[in-house]
Amino acid sequence: MSGNAAVWGRVRSRLRAFPERLSACGAEAAAYGRCVQASTAPGGRLRKDLCAQEFEALRSCFLAAAKKTQKGGH
Amino acid sequence: MLRLTRVWLLWRRPPAAGVPAKNLGLRKVASGVSPPGSASPRAVNIFDRDLKRKQKNWAARQPEPRKFDYLKEEVGSRIADRVYDIARDFPLALDLGCGRGYIAQHLNKETVGKFFQADIAENALKNTLETEIPTVSVLADEEFLPFRENTFDLVVSSLSLHWVNDLPRALEQIRYVLKPDGVFLGAMFGGDTLYELRCSLQLAETEREGGFSPHVSPFTAVNDLGHLLGRAGFNTLTVDTDEIQVNYPGMFELMEDLQGMGESNCAWNRKALLHRNTMLAAAAVYGEMYRNEDGSVPATYQIYYMIGWKYHDSQARPAERGSATVSFGELGKINSLMSQEKKSQ
Repeated sequence: MSGNAAVWGRVRSRLRAFPERLSACGAEAAAYGRCVQASTAPGGRLRKDLCAQEFEALRSCFLAAAKKTQKGGH
Repeated sequence: MLRLTRVWLLWRRPPAAGVPAKNLGLRKVASGVSPPGSASPRAVNIFDRDLKRKQKNWAARQPEPRKFDYLKEEVGSRIADRVYDIARDFPLALDLGCGRGYIAQHLNKETVGKFFQADIAENALKNTLETEIPTVSVLADEEFLPFRENTFDLVVSSLSLHWVNDLPRALEQIRYVLKPDGVFLGAMFGGDTLYELRCSLQLAETEREGGFSPHVSPFTAVNDLGHLLGRAGFNTLTVDTDEIQVNYPGMFELMEDLQGMGESNCAWNRKALLHRNTMLAAAAVYGEMYRNEDGSVPATYQIYYMIGWKYHDSQARPAERGSATVSFGELGKINSLMSQEKKSQ
């Protein structure tokens, strides 16, 4: 693969943990998804940071899940 | 927020050392054949073929390549079914973009005498699947076939033409290497493939970053495919479409599988980075918009199957103008007309 195998391995292992942490935040993810989906209805217009609040909630839940799994030991 | 280099669909590989930048994308192959007509006047360069070769090599060298082969195996078996449907034997056949040889494993020695398997990735050719037909592996690009005119009775291509830059030229080359009355059977990804992924990424990127860039490669429309085949000189062509829907736990698993299949993005206009936030947002949107009842998310693969024949005198031709003996207006009485004909015979 490309140059630095150590960086590569770290990045991929971090990404591999994403689905697990996302599943821990089902409600926030659904709220964000609903907000974005609502903007696709006729008459809605999707622009930057339209759903910033919901995304912040999702992100903080995600980071909390990350801290929890880190504390519990990979 | 730290930016991490993403490797899923958007991945930029530095060129191999010593390759001057202007030669990227050009393939220097000593081709034994000079196909009629040079590259079509509107030849486009959408995909980085060098990168695609590296991606396919990487995918073939994974510890468990069979884990990601399910789609190609399925389409390969369907193509093999279609080969059996043709009531003919093919002494010499070519598999373009064969991967690990998904079609050959389903065919038998009586139908196909000898199989040439061509792919751009040498690692895939090294790990071909078992088959009873004698095979020859050739390292060849789909657009620059190193074969003489009128060589093959059958050319098959399963899920590899969607990465070809100059599709009209590739189809013309296929017709060139076919014998008269030879047949081309192909399967390509169609316009609706991965539309859920495309939409989710588009919406998430618009919301998070204010704009979006293409992440799923452009596919051919079914009308265009018919025109392309006709333009390449194929006769009696048919295109039909099929949809395979695969359920995944989530968007990340889908992207991992796409990379494992060797189907990562290699378009020149791809973005090098996909922000962690955008990925998270896209996964959330994907799950919410397209989720099944059991919580999994579907991914649609629309496959176009096409068949075309190279011209031969024995093939049916449209009748001469003015040679009709029955009018369309009498279509309602077709049963009586046919029984009349039988009586007169």
